[in-house]
Amino acid sequence: MLEIGVQTKNVVDDRQPEKGFALLKRTGFSCVDFSLNQYLTNTSLYQSEVNSFFDQTRQELEQFFTPHRQAALANGIRIHQMHMPYPNYVPNGSRELNDYLRNVVAPKSMEICAFFGCRYIVIHGFKLARFLGTEEAEWEQTQKFLEFLAPMAKEMGITICIENLYDGIGSHIVEGPCCNAGKAAERIDRMNEKYHEEVLGFCFDTGHANLVGIDMEAFLGVLGHRLKVLHIHDNDGAFDLHQIPFTFTKTRENQTSTDWPGFIKGLRRIGFEDALSFETAPVLTAFPEVMKEDTLTFIARIGRYFAGEIEAAVDGKEVSCKATM
Amino acid sequence: MNIICTPLGIVDMDRPGQGISDIAGAGFENILLDMTMCCSPGELENFGKEGKREKRKGRPAVSEHPTELYNRWEPVLEKCRKEKLKVPIAYAPHLGRNSKRGDLKELLVNLVEESIRFCGKLGCQYMVVRPFYSDREYYLRFAGLARENHVMILLENQCRDVNGHLVRGVCADERVAAAWVDRLNEEAGEERFGFCMDIGACSLCGQDMREFALVLGDRIKAVILRDCDGHREGAMLPFTCTAGGRFQTDWLGCIRGLREIGFDGQLILNFSDTAGAFSPILRPGLMRLAKSVADYFRWQIGIENLLKKNRSIVLFGAGNMCRNYMKCYGEKYPPLFTCDNNRTLWGTEFCGLEVRPPESLKELPEECVIFICNIYYREIEKQLRDMGVGNRIEFFNDEYMPSFYFDRLERENT
Repeated sequence: MLEIGVQTKNVVDDRQPEKGFALLKRTGFSCVDFSLNQYLTNTSLYQSEVNSFFDQTRQELEQFFTPHRQAALANGIRIHQMHMPYPNYVPNGSRELNDYLRNVVAPKSMEICAFFGCRYIVIHGFKLARFLGTEEAEWEQTQKFLEFLAPMAKEMGITICIENLYDGIGSHIVEGPCCNAGKAAERIDRMNEKYHEEVLGFCFDTGHANLVGIDMEAFLGVLGHRLKVLHIHDNDGAFDLHQIPFTFTKTRENQTSTDWPGFIKGLRRIGFEDALSFETAPVLTAFPEVMKEDTLTFIARIGRYFAGEIEAAVDGKEVSCKATM
Repeated sequence: MNIICTPLGIVDMDRPGQGISDIAGAGFENILLDMTMCCSPGELENFGKEGKREKRKGRPAVSEHPTELYNRWEPVLEKCRKEKLKVPIAYAPHLGRNSKRGDLKELLVNLVEESIRFCGKLGCQYMVVRPFYSDREYYLRFAGLARENHVMILLENQCRDVNGHLVRGVCADERVAAAWVDRLNEEAGEERFGFCMDIGACSLCGQDMREFALVLGDRIKAVILRDCDGHREGAMLPFTCTAGGRFQTDWLGCIRGLREIGFDGQLILNFSDTAGAFSPILRPGLMRLAKSVADYFRWQIGIENLLKKNRSIVLFGAGNMCRNYMKCYGEKYPPLFTCDNNRTLWGTEFCGLEVRPPESLKELPEECVIFICNIYYREIEKQLRDMGVGNRIEFFNDEYMPSFYFDRLERENT
């Protein structure tokens, strides 16, 4: 049975985690994507600004997150996946900064992940193709980072998930790391064979895929069992807006302009049976605070709709959200 | 590499004289035989519909009489002959992206076959035929006729319309496209099929163009250069679709890929939207700019071929551009030395090259070519000519290098 999850960002407050997890339970979620990345944000990292959060010792961090873990447990919410702070490498960043991201932030993120009993942690591949010239050379650098983390992942029983990302040419978004399903599958297999363990998997981000026009059904079909984690969200095809699925239309007919039927068919095809996790934290700041509960309830309802459509595979049912195919 | 101008937006089929002479006047030597100009997707969509019959100036519609293609193009071709414009490549009629007219398959087959015969008569070597949905058999039907007429059929990458959002469609996946071409050639028993890479479609789908070109490799016989904003269809002059002073198309990936595969085929410039929007009064100037843009692409794509041709070279400039040259090409095409106007650098070594004063260029052997590695190209060229340097001078450029340093050298100007 497919579970429905959502980010903890904008729901779970460090001062009262119990309240947030209770809200998630009440609104129909059974698992979460723990937003570890909110403790060291990408916007600050790109400014070479680093706060002291990850300077804390492992014990201090565990102590900090103990109320979160207890609240999740008390409300029957499973920490299904987690997002490591990103980027893990800042091009043109100081050596000191990049060493800190690799040697301090990443291992401590793995420890926090293990502390939560979380199976999957999502990382961002390095964005270096412009400088290094090829996607292969770029991947080599990401691979070095993954090789550094893999022994930890194996020991802790964690699967690190690489995610399809984008890059920018002016204000136009184009494909970034991990947008080639065939290459990703081959690389995941190679690394898992090397470590005799599932240390590497894939996180499919629907919004990022939509931005660069990826054929979702084909992409998911190639990934198959390597797909472990989802980031479900919607956008207008131009900006990474992280909005609620089915939000955007582009024609007078007002049909969804994101290929949700392809997404559903792809998950059906591979028999996906993990968590349908929404990466829609920005929605919660867009809607009024008093509507947060209704908004989360609606997101969970969409999750159940997806689950129903994906699980309907056994009946051979057609996908009902219309789109030009 | 052949540069080909698309006549769409420039040439009026009924009165082609001015448009053709604008094209020729700008220095273009080839045009695209674009069959859609006399048999548009709109005409095909309305085919057979009561009250929507295509009739212009009393002539029968091409969709109803495919042999009309010849009559419609003849006035244009006559002007082309006068202006010595060649027609090396054609574009076959096709349905619109959202067409549901699956019933028109046989009509399309007739139109494409007629177009192939037309190409054969003109000695036009290539014809782009858009995929008919995902039907590979559709292409195979043309193999025999294409062989008889010495025409190579080129498949083209397509977008798919998801309710107004353009995503990757048929042949947009480079591996799938390469497999299509190979399978078709295998079944045809010869190299009768190739590929036309539409840069606009790649950009609309945010694709990694270097990877696209590399996977398709020498199957790519033609490239359609056009600019757009990455969201909506458009055929603008490259570098004109900008926002915040930056272009929206990944020209770096495009040039890297085509340079790496040594592309030397048909480079089709399609800027029909830009041309159509300009006043006819300004068009000759626009056409000259368009030709310069096409020449620039040819030069950028072929820059390695240019380096390859010269056995003995020296550089002018001992800064970032020289550093980039040495990073990417220094080992393959080593210069004898570099020189610079900055006297504090004379006698020093930069990126493994001895830095000499410009005066030393006067002693170069005749066959040695000077590559200027400094953005003040024309100023430096004039300086060298004024000094009496008679060797061939070429410009090097590091805007679209195979790789880049993470940093730039900062040096005070002297």
